[in-house]
Amino acid sequence: MNAIEIKGLTKHFGNKVALSGLNMTVPKGAIYGFVGENGSGKSTTEKIICGLLHPDGGEVRLLGRPYTDPEVRAKMGVLIESPGCFPGLSVWNNMKLQAANLGIENADEEIIRILKTVRMEGAASNKYKNCSLGMKQRVGIAMALLGRPSLLVLDEPINGLDADGMRIMREVLTELTAKEGVTVLLSSHLLGELEKIATHYGIVRGGRMIKEMTAEELDASCRTYVALKAREMAVAKAVLCRRYNRVEEDEAGFLRVYDSATPEAVASYLYENGIAVEELCKAKIGLEEFYTDLMKEGKER
Amino acid sequence: MKTGFQKRLSTMLTVDFRRMLTSRLFYIVLGICFVAPILILVMTTMMDGTVTVDPQTGKETVIEAFDHVWQIIGTVSGDDAAAGMAMDMTAMCNINLLFFGVAVPVALFVSEEFKCGYAKNLFTVRAKKSDYVVSKTVVCFLWGVAMVIAFFLGSLVGGAVSGLSFEAGVGGGSIALCLLCKVLLMAVFVPIFLCISVAAKEKTWLSIVGGCAVGALLFMMIPALTPLNATVMNLLLCGVGGVVFSLGLGAVSNMILSKTSLV
Repeated sequence: MNAIEIKGLTKHFGNKVALSGLNMTVPKGAIYGFVGENGSGKSTTEKIICGLLHPDGGEVRLLGRPYTDPEVRAKMGVLIESPGCFPGLSVWNNMKLQAANLGIENADEEIIRILKTVRMEGAASNKYKNCSLGMKQRVGIAMALLGRPSLLVLDEPINGLDADGMRIMREVLTELTAKEGVTVLLSSHLLGELEKIATHYGIVRGGRMIKEMTAEELDASCRTYVALKAREMAVAKAVLCRRYNRVEEDEAGFLRVYDSATPEAVASYLYENGIAVEELCKAKIGLEEFYTDLMKEGKER
Repeated sequence: MKTGFQKRLSTMLTVDFRRMLTSRLFYIVLGICFVAPILILVMTTMMDGTVTVDPQTGKETVIEAFDHVWQIIGTVSGDDAAAGMAMDMTAMCNINLLFFGVAVPVALFVSEEFKCGYAKNLFTVRAKKSDYVVSKTVVCFLWGVAMVIAFFLGSLVGGAVSGLSFEAGVGGGSIALCLLCKVLLMAVFVPIFLCISVAAKEKTWLSIVGGCAVGALLFMMIPALTPLNATVMNLLLCGVGGVVFSLGLGAVSNMILSKTSLV
């Protein structure tokens, strides 16, 4: 059974089309990286999933039931835009309110457990408004985890987190999916971070899903390349362009040779042309570059 | 696991009561409601008989104090004030102002939830908007009742301090019925303000302005419906009005929440 199934979702805001027939399938137990440019429809989709916006058309099913089903909704945890805490209340009291809303028995124990999980146990008595941005994000995640949800919807949860916070977040989400089978829908612009935990990806553009794939499929479709540094870079590039179709200079000052080139072949070709190579390695493009390429292709089309 | 309405409502009420009782606003509002009648009674008694002259027209106005303490709670039917006609200070500065005043806590209570994102979290996990409306109506109604009680207690203290008579020419039972009518009338006003607040969502100013505007329109009916010599008929009218408004506007509030975007 899929945790989220969306078919032909449409949503307009006046004349502006936010979603135009978006399809999405999130398998149960997956960490689904939801990627797209600003205004591509990610947040609108998430808000519809959370029942905060009403779609104009299409079908949304969560855990095999319609998204409006109260029983399904009770199994959700959410962090969209802000954690939804009262600024004047302490972290503890905010969590107590949410626990009471969810009708959690042994609320105190549950809150302590979750605050420990997100490493916030020392800040429980802090007023929410006095928390730092990173702490507020952690409180938001803690709020989302209350009541042991089966489906977590997290919109930009790692924004504002420091390196340690990001690591904790990765550990928490990975553990939740592995041990409790929780499904996580996670949108983020920090693709490098997303790549470390996501098991599935959905790339959205202009209110449509343009690509859905597993982490393995992404890995397979990510092209390998040979990265090198030569003494005369301009000459090396000109020489390589004669044999290879795609040779690019990257931000780090390396020349990248695509087209299934092997390091050995590139090195010997440059040697034959009298160019000394200083550094040479084989590498693979990551999610960020894959995504950039995909977006570029779309725009060119 | 299915959760019954009773269980859902009790959890929601627990949260709302906890919020109300831990909010500073609740105690500030009650404090104002307690102090206001003391100030009104003492000051008007002190100024009794003072003549003010309009510098432009030269017209003289004599400030008249309350005749007795209960005048700040209600006026005997047949009076101009009870008919909603009088506009002097004693007819305006009385407990009926609370029916305006309750718009402010209702607006702040609801709009804060939308502003900080709490409502978003709530409606994600709680699909039934009716729970929210019922719980908010109950809590805001009781907030209003607490305001009426605080004002009443303040009136007793103010009366004692200012030395005004506690003799109104009507029985204690009628005064009790009048107060009960005021309490029940809160159930008419609270759903109106709640409806405006859920429509305005995080826009506090719109809730307050809207609430006060509607309150002003209905203000004149309050003295007529809740006179000091109230009868069971007044009680019945207020009670039926409270039920009709709570159910009717509760349904409207529920529809607003169900049909509109919550973010």
